[in-house]
Formats: sequence, C-alpha cells, structure tokens
Amino acid sequence: MNKKMKHEMSNMNNHDYSESPEEKEISMWKKRLTWGWILTIPIIILMYVLPFVFDVMIFSKESMIWLSLLFAFPVIFIVGFSTLKSGFRGFISFYFNMDSLIGLGTFAAYFTGFLSLFFGFQDYSGISAMIMSIFVTGKYIEAKARGRAGQEIRKLLELGAKNARVIRGKEEIEIPILEVKVGDIIVVKPGEKIPTDGVVVKGESSVDESMVTGESLPTDKNKGSNVIGATINQDGILYIKATKVGSDTFLAHIVNLVEEAQGSKVPIQKLADKITNIFVPSVLGLAILTFIGWSIFGNFSSAFGASIAVLVISCPCALGLATPIALTVGSGMGAKRGILIRKGEAIQTMKNVKVIVFDKTGTITKGKPEVTNIGVSKEVKEKAFLEIAGSLEKLSEHPLSRAIVIYSNLRNYKPVKNFKVLRGRGIEGNILGKKYLIGNRRLMDENKVSLKGFIKKIENLENDGKTVMILSSEKNKKVLGIIAVADSIKEDSVKALEYLHKKGYYTVMITGDNERTAEAIAKEVGIKKVIANVLPEDKSEKVKELQAKNGENVSFVGDGINDAPALKQANVGVAMGTGTDIAIEAGDIVLTNGSLMGVCQAIELSKATFSKIKQNLFWAFAYNIVAIPLAVGGVLHPVFAEIAMALSSITVVTNANLLRRAKI
Amino acid sequence: MKKKITIDGMYCASCATNIERSLKKISGVESVAVSMMTRKAIVEINDKVKISDEDLKKAVSRAGYKTISIE
Repeated sequence: MNKKMKHEMSNMNNHDYSESPEEKEISMWKKRLTWGWILTIPIIILMYVLPFVFDVMIFSKESMIWLSLLFAFPVIFIVGFSTLKSGFRGFISFYFNMDSLIGLGTFAAYFTGFLSLFFGFQDYSGISAMIMSIFVTGKYIEAKARGRAGQEIRKLLELGAKNARVIRGKEEIEIPILEVKVGDIIVVKPGEKIPTDGVVVKGESSVDESMVTGESLPTDKNKGSNVIGATINQDGILYIKATKVGSDTFLAHIVNLVEEAQGSKVPIQKLADKITNIFVPSVLGLAILTFIGWSIFGNFSSAFGASIAVLVISCPCALGLATPIALTVGSGMGAKRGILIRKGEAIQTMKNVKVIVFDKTGTITKGKPEVTNIGVSKEVKEKAFLEIAGSLEKLSEHPLSRAIVIYSNLRNYKPVKNFKVLRGRGIEGNILGKKYLIGNRRLMDENKVSLKGFIKKIENLENDGKTVMILSSEKNKKVLGIIAVADSIKEDSVKALEYLHKKGYYTVMITGDNERTAEAIAKEVGIKKVIANVLPEDKSEKVKELQAKNGENVSFVGDGINDAPALKQANVGVAMGTGTDIAIEAGDIVLTNGSLMGVCQAIELSKATFSKIKQNLFWAFAYNIVAIPLAVGGVLHPVFAEIAMALSSITVVTNANLLRRAKI
Repeated sequence: MKKKITIDGMYCASCATNIERSLKKISGVESVAVSMMTRKAIVEINDKVKISDEDLKKAVSRAGYKTISIE
C-alpha cells in the first residue's frame, strides 16, 4: 500500500473530522445570502435607487410590481424555502418557531404585490425579498459568531491524535486511532501527540499536559507513569500501553462533561425560557390584532405594513440565546484553563458564596506526606520499631501509611494477624502473638495508653504542623515510639488564600488531623478557622453546620474522591485533582490542574460569565419591549424592523464573545 | 438512563424549546435539556420505563427536526 492510499484510508476512518455541523450551517446561510442579494439588489435599484435618487422611472407602476414579484419569487420560495417550510409546519403542528414569524411575514408581504395589482394597496413584495435577504444575512453572521463561541470545545475535540504507531509482532505499524485496542503498546516519539490514555512501560520523557489540565509546566514521565491522550511528548521516546480508548478516555470524558454543562440551565434564564415558549404564538396574536386595529382606524396598506413589521421585528432568538451563548463561551474559557464547569447553576450560585471550606490533605497540601521525625522509647531499638510499624502500615492504603512504609524501607515484612483498620484513628494487628496499635492520639486515649515521656515531643511536632503517629503495644499500654509525618503545602496555596481573603471570603480548613497540627498548617497559609478531628464521613455534616450558621453560601473544595458527600452538600462543590487522578463526576466545578489558584480563577470566571448573562438578558428583554410596541404603532418600516431584529441577536452573541476579554 | 440525541436543523433558540416541549411529552421522560449550541438534547429517562430510540426520534420530528444519532 503506498503512502497516499494509506493516508486516504485513514481519512475515511476519520470521517468525524470532516466538515463540522457549525461549518455546514455557516456555508448554508452563506449560499442563501449570496443568492438572496443577487436577486434583491436589482429590486432595490429599480424600485428605490433609480426613482428616488436619480428620479428615473423606466417602467410603469404596474410593470414594476410584476417585476418585483418576479424577482422576489425565488428569494422567498427558493432561498427561503426551508424557512417557509419549517415556519408553516408550526401552524399545523403547533410547534411555532422563529421561522413561523419570518415565514408568515415575508409571505404576507409578497402577497401584497397581487393585492396591489387588483385593489391598489401598497405593494410590499419587493420589501419581502429584502426582509428575507436581511434575515439570512443576520443568521449567517449569528452562526459565525456562535461558531466562535464554541471554538474552545471544538478545539478540545480536535485535540486527539488521528493515528497511532503500535507494535504488532516485531514491527511498528501506523494505524488509525479508532483501531487502537486496550493493551496495545504504542510508540510515541518526541514532539508527537500521545494517542490515547495509557501507562508508560518503557522510556523517560517530559510531557506537556497543558491542553488538558491547564498546567503549564511539563510533567516528568517514566516507567509506571500514567499519561493522558492528546498531550504532547516533549523530549524522549515513550512506550505506552493503552489503558483506555475511544469514549473512555479522559479527553472524551472532559468533552462530554463540558457539552452536558452547556446544555444545562442557569436558574436566571427561567423567565426568558418561559417567555420564549409562548413568544411566537403571542406575537402571531399580536400581529393579527395589529392588522385588525389598523384596518379599522387606518387603512389596509398601513395594516399590512404594521403587522408585517410586528412579525419580523420580534426576536425570540435573542432571549433564548442570551444565557446559553454566554455559558458556552464561559465554560469554553474554563476548559482551556483546567476549570470544568459541570453545572450552569454553579455560575449563578458562585456569586452568593461567602464561605469557602477547604479540605486539607491534597487540596491545601500536596497530599504526599513524608516521614520527618522518629522517636523511640528506651525499650526498643529504632530498627525493631520500624520493623513493626512498617509491617503493620504495609497493609493499609492510607497516604500516611504509605509514607511510613517508604521510610521504613524493609526488605522483609513480618506476618501480621488480625489486622484491622480503625477509621479516623489508625490500625491494629498482631505480630508474633503481640497486639500492636498504631495511630493518632484518639486511638491511644480510647485504649488508655499513657503518653508519658512523649507528650512534650508530640506537642512540639504538632505545633510544627506535623501529624504524629504513635505505636504502642496493647499489653502494657506503653508507647513504643512515635513517627512524625509532614505533608507540605502546595506552592501557590498561600497566594491563592491571600487573594481570597483580599476579596473578603471567609475561609475554613477541615481535616482529620488534631487541632495543633491543623492550626499550624492553617497559620502557614493564613486560614483563620479550623475544624479539626473530623472523620471523613462527617465532613458533609460540618458543611451543613456552616450553612446553618452562615446561610446557603458555602463552597467546599476537596479532592472529589473522599469528599463526594461534602461536595454535594455544599452550595458549590469544587473538586480538584491533577490530571487523570481525579473524579471528574464529583462537584459542580472541577479543577484539573491541582492548584488552588484554580479556585480563584473559577470564582472570577463564574462572576464574569454571570454578569454577561445578565447583560444579555437585559438587552434581549429591553429590545423586545421597545421594538414590538414601535412596530405595533406603525412607526417602523418593515425593512428597518428586520434589520433591528437581525442586529438584536447578533448583539447578544457578539457580547457573549466579548467575555473573552475578561481577565481570568 | 441518559440519552444523548444529536439533532439537525436547529437554528434558533425557539427551536430548542420546541424540541424540549415535544420530548417532555413522552411519559417516562424526567428531564430534557436541549442546547442549540451543541445541537444536542440530553434526555433523562426513568429506569422503570422503556422508551425506544424510535419514540425519541418521533418526538424530535414532531417538533419539526431531524435526528442524526442517539447514544
């Protein structure tokens, strides 16, 4: 197979990447507007430019009407065919839409041409072509601007690699991404995109994950590291085993999530939606009343003029688009920065938030604790002490346990019997017939272990913000030794909290640690209120208490894995994590780059987006409230009515695109 | 159960509300969110009720639009 054929084959498999629906819509309107104006411009020249500007009348009045009927016919019935069809179907099925208004308006206007020939009414047939042409032009501009609004999401979709180089037998072959299966070994050269989610089996490199997580610094990858599809391999060759393909990948999840969020409702749009629902039938009714009114108090010519103006000036689109378009731009901007807005509602709720509760481990701190100090009693040697501690902790999956296991660095673990995890306290187990306890002070208190001889040291370590684990033997209720573990603070936690305090937010830290350790950490980052000694399952209860005290304005920031109930209980739940290491289904807002600065950005983005929504709704309401009565009053010529209508929806979409200027 | 319907021919916001109204008429449909931005309808269906893709398609075409895909 030659190269060209191969290329074509892969293109065939990737038919998804051909013309997008947005592009299709834009080129559709473009075609219509081109033909619309080709036929409408001669009408304008013959009917307006020549007689009014140059005072030239080439044809008699009657032939002029025939000519405009002739030229307008294809504009209304060919260029406007689908508009008319969709509009008139509304009259049969009672699902009226925008097209019902434009369809009826242009059809009625065209029809006046015949009435004019036989009854001498004013002829609006030329006008009908102008209305249709302006309408499709407005739609074209709107579609383009709408396309721009969704550009970030489309870019996310296009981010994925199209081909992958996999190892089959002893050969490396390039296959389309759709044919990659879980378990395939993929070779990724420097500068190439990683085709799908996987785990590194050979090689070392750094990978630029900014397009997916918003994290600007490249991440180092070596054997065992997880990699995300669509990120870019920087400097080494990586051999990757595919772990997820197709719609299971992280990128696919993100795109799906953002798309769902864009379809979600923001409470403020409720009124606009209700109005949009009854808008078209109401305007139809109003147009009939306008026609009747003008027929009685004026004449048929003005009745036609005014009611056509009413039909074409009314714009449900501006109302209906106001919120979704701003939400789309806002969520796209967020996605680019590693902020995923999962529910539109969060944007509105965010502005009421006054209290922000942070989980400590993994949110304020790095969540990777390390052993810093060891203290043993006279009865044991450090080596024996670590042997017991390491063997016990080996069986637990707690991050603190992992730190101790790594530190103890044992070659052989002692067999442990009757192992038990005591949630929020520690663990217990038997080694060589002796029962040991290892855990926090609460565990020791509950088992009446005396901390004599260690209490001063423990308190000092806790004052430094370290978590102290105590090992004791059950039998003599004595402390064998202590291990201090510290979880260092993320680089930008201090900066982020400073920013939030400056903006007047009340911050709270919640943790399973004891007060002393928690206070020390809180002091380091500047948090004033600490809720310590909280068991994981009680976090949501604490959020509820804060809500009872401060009102429904509490946000919770946590890792999304252990904190899911608290995230749900909070008015705005912010889940954060790094890369794929995150539960993206938890929380109203998800931060993928693991930095607390993301919380500040998410707040700014929500506020900016919500104020855009408010502006848009204001314009859309104001426009219809002012424009419709003017049309009813017969003040507006139908052509200007249509121009105003087109401009109103273009304004709303363009205004939403201006959101990108906000500093976030 | 959640279904995602990709729809063609949705060019204005009142179209979105029409499709929403039509899909909501199917009994067993709990919530509908139609976005003209993504050209998709997300339909939440009660797990106890069986609604075929054909029913969903019919509801979309009743409002005057075309279904491209359902997933």
